[in-house]
Amino acid sequence: MSIRLRFAAVILSLLLVIGLVAGCGGGSTTESADKGDQEKSTPKQEEPAKEENTEPIKLGGIFDITGGTGDVGAPYAEGATAYVKWLNENGGVNGRQIDLEGIDYAYKIPQAVEAYKKLVYQQKAPAILGWGTGDTEAMVPFISKDKIPYISGSLSETLLTVADHPYNFMVAASYSDQARVILKYIKDNAQEEQPKVALIYNDTGFGKSPIADAEAFAKEIGVEIVDKEVVDLKALDATSQLLNMDKAGANYAIIQETSNATATILKDAKKLGLDTKFFGLNWTADEISLKLMGDAAEGYIGVIPFAFPYEDVAGMKDVEEGFALTGKSLDELNQKHIQGWFSAMVMMEGMKRAGDDVTGENIKKGLESMNEFSSGDLAAPVSFSADSHRGSSKVKLYQVTDGQWTPITDWIGYK
Amino acid sequence: MRLRNPFVMESGVFTTNYRDDMAFHYPMLAKLRVAAIMLLLFLLPVYAGTYLVSIANLVGIAIIGSLGLNILTGFTGQISIGHGAFLGVGAYAAGFITAKMGLPFWIALPAAGVITAAVGAIFGIPSLRLKGLYLAIATLAAQVIIEFVIAHWDGVTNGVHGMFLPAPQLFGFTLDNDVSYYYLVLVVCIIAAMFAFNLFRSRVGRAFVAVRDRDLAAEVMGINLFKYKIMAFALSSFYVGVAGALWGHYLRIISPEHFTIAVSIQYLAMVIIGGLGSVMGSIYGAVFITLLPIVLREIAGLFSTYFPNIETIILGLKEAVFGTTIVVFLIYEPEGLARIWQNIKDYFKLWPFSY
Repeated sequence: MSIRLRFAAVILSLLLVIGLVAGCGGGSTTESADKGDQEKSTPKQEEPAKEENTEPIKLGGIFDITGGTGDVGAPYAEGATAYVKWLNENGGVNGRQIDLEGIDYAYKIPQAVEAYKKLVYQQKAPAILGWGTGDTEAMVPFISKDKIPYISGSLSETLLTVADHPYNFMVAASYSDQARVILKYIKDNAQEEQPKVALIYNDTGFGKSPIADAEAFAKEIGVEIVDKEVVDLKALDATSQLLNMDKAGANYAIIQETSNATATILKDAKKLGLDTKFFGLNWTADEISLKLMGDAAEGYIGVIPFAFPYEDVAGMKDVEEGFALTGKSLDELNQKHIQGWFSAMVMMEGMKRAGDDVTGENIKKGLESMNEFSSGDLAAPVSFSADSHRGSSKVKLYQVTDGQWTPITDWIGYK
Repeated sequence: MRLRNPFVMESGVFTTNYRDDMAFHYPMLAKLRVAAIMLLLFLLPVYAGTYLVSIANLVGIAIIGSLGLNILTGFTGQISIGHGAFLGVGAYAAGFITAKMGLPFWIALPAAGVITAAVGAIFGIPSLRLKGLYLAIATLAAQVIIEFVIAHWDGVTNGVHGMFLPAPQLFGFTLDNDVSYYYLVLVVCIIAAMFAFNLFRSRVGRAFVAVRDRDLAAEVMGINLFKYKIMAFALSSFYVGVAGALWGHYLRIISPEHFTIAVSIQYLAMVIIGGLGSVMGSIYGAVFITLLPIVLREIAGLFSTYFPNIETIILGLKEAVFGTTIVVFLIYEPEGLARIWQNIKDYFKLWPFSY
């Protein structure tokens, strides 16, 4: 009998130990959830009602840091992170800290889906900052069902149809709008009676995005599209396409590529001695492309929706402060840092306007209440409404003179 | 078979009739183990959160696809670098049937398999003349051609804008959340694995293996090489098509960006790391490759509380780890995880007499 008793005691103590371990395990998980909030480490001593209001708010980030577009994706992610850090230093959102959980998805869609589910189902993030066109599109059914406001690095016009994409917001002019602004600019400034324009793009969703809209708009304002050329994103030679374009008699060309292909196009054009005037959308025009192009860049005009870090605008003081927290100074930054910073800023403004009940729906309402939201000229003022998530259709045009991007217009639209 | 003590070690298989001889699992313990795993799998959504279920969905779809590739590459010896594109064929075929023709999902799923099988068989025709590296390049051509067709056949695929798919409906249920979708994936996955297991106990499967081991000898023995090679391509593509249909309806939106050569390479990595010519290997490989980035990220997160900034270092290492894993497997265990698991089991079975 004593043996049996001892056996029961052993079993009981085992159960106790298991229970304790499980309890501790539970404790440690809640603790780690609080870890993002390092400044205030004693939320447990406050009353439960108060605790609810000071708990950090999760914010999801699906970034490309190591993948195919990591060259511009990493600074974008750094910019968003720096903004959140800066915001937390300055009181957070309605007195609550923001806990940004950024996940690197390496530009692979299955990993983006997995990251999304982790952020929304496990971390309960009410809003997400995303990145590429393909993965943003892949999230659309999920974010509409889960009601998660989503600001993407992609500026594809398709994301702007509110009926299909009710939770997507775009903080700057879409690719189509950028192309329209260029066409309008060509029309207004051309010496020729009938300017002839060529479109150079790549055969992906990103590349083709503005093409149809640009053609329609050109017809509307009486600009002739004489040629369309496909240049691969990784092309190291564009001579044959440029010769074709020259044969078609284009005086102007609009490029929708990334930095590498743009550099190839401009260098080959210089080599061939073409006198075509080149324009590029935002991913063709930044510090990287300038470096790659060398002196072939002279006179090239680019669409710049976000300010350069060396520009003297009101909002840059906060950027400097924010990046000082991460140990970086302004001269280490590039324009994509500013884009990430600004995207996070817009999202946080929506969260601020959502009030105390931070749900996806309220953030959406908050974002939709934004009217001419100014960031101190880091980007064009942003306005959203219930039936338009087009933050802005205004951009600045910059021209390369003496190896430096210099503005030639203020914020302009096409209307 | 007599009911034996289920906790004794198995020490050999002694059967007295053909029925027992045909069985998958001989000892009672093995049968119980399978039943327990099945139970755990079916109850997964009860004890795991939605996030884990969503990972399980990704893993399940990867398992079906890698089973398909393993039938072709592991069992028949025909290499293919076009499976990412075949995945796309399945996804678009199913999408066209449900979204544009309005037919129900239970028709679209097998139909996607059949259509992909047909496409795969066509691209398998060169396999009669081409072997090894040459065949690899021919299937690479399939990848390029199919990707181009998907991007440019706007009438069917909506081109680069992508195609919206409805949530699948089965028996009046709409499978629009992770848990319900999990059961769909799980059931298809089990059927796929069972079929693959049994295939290699059948005449066709044995012919595949004969073709892999030495196609000339197989032909001498009377195996119609052309027929079986095409059949392997078709069957493999059927699996991948089904996986594609599931993947497309899980995402609910598909575009050419989802089916690039990177996907093909990832599937090849699954098959190699899991174990060529092993059904369980496909499963281990799919689980391994799908979980690798997640686990690395979690480890980075864990360490970042003690060593700040380690996250950025480990993030950069992710691709390197992926590549290194493949190299290490190729050198030290070309037969993959399936073999490692077998070795572990053998060790315990034979211990302390390891010979």
